[in-house]
Amino acid sequence: MSNSKTLIKIKPNTYKNGDVVKVSFMVMHPMETGLRKDKKTGEVIPADYIKSAKFEYNGKVFTTMNIWETLSVNPVITTYMTIDGAGSLKVTFTDSKGTVEESSEEIKPKG
Amino acid sequence: MKRRDFLKNLSLSAATLAVIPTMSFAADEKPKGSNALAYKDALAAITGGKTPEPSEKVSLKVPEIAENGAVVPVTVEIDYPMTDSDYVKAIHIFAAKNGNSRCIDAHLSPANGKAMLSTRVKLGETQEVIALAELSNGNFLIASQSVKVTIGGCG
Repeated sequence: MSNSKTLIKIKPNTYKNGDVVKVSFMVMHPMETGLRKDKKTGEVIPADYIKSAKFEYNGKVFTTMNIWETLSVNPVITTYMTIDGAGSLKVTFTDSKGTVEESSEEIKPKG
Repeated sequence: MKRRDFLKNLSLSAATLAVIPTMSFAADEKPKGSNALAYKDALAAITGGKTPEPSEKVSLKVPEIAENGAVVPVTVEIDYPMTDSDYVKAIHIFAAKNGNSRCIDAHLSPANGKAMLSTRVKLGETQEVIALAELSNGNFLIASQSVKVTIGGCG
């Protein structure tokens, strides 16, 4: 999906080196199961869902995920990560159609 | 007498008409999709035959009654240290009666700092949600909770 968007949120807003923070990833994605029918035409809507996710922090992969169509529309995934110096947090989502969606967020620890 | 026969036939045919559709509906299996995998098989594929141990260390937070099966928040938190030598390797979430019982596999590393995964899943009907934690020492911890679904969210 060319119009899909990713949002990254870090809680709390201010953090220090060594802190364990909560990170949420929100992706705009239809997550079609391939079982639903179009109400007007009666045709089956083909499956279209996020297959995998990869989370990188300063070029180092710290979490990977396998995802299936059983996740809700516009998935929200929350996990924890340890802050270890300034840098960037990058997330890559790949869907069943082969579309790759990338997004990144700057990590700026204070103190 | 003709009228009586006619009415008799009518009521008979009406009865058969009423029976046939319900029977064919019952015989029809629900479509499961191309990724269909039953919970038992999905669990065996991950554990490789090992029996996961039910544990209080795995806390699974799911609403007991979900009004909308399309969006059911699930939070799994594991009370386990995340050190370089001993950590939670992966968290898996299953929905036992969905066509495809697998929801998400998260492969964690010590860099996560805390073993927690939170997301939202679709549930087709009232069923059990299962959280499986894979530890770095090869053991498995499991927790489950049943969720009552008012309106199914699949298909």
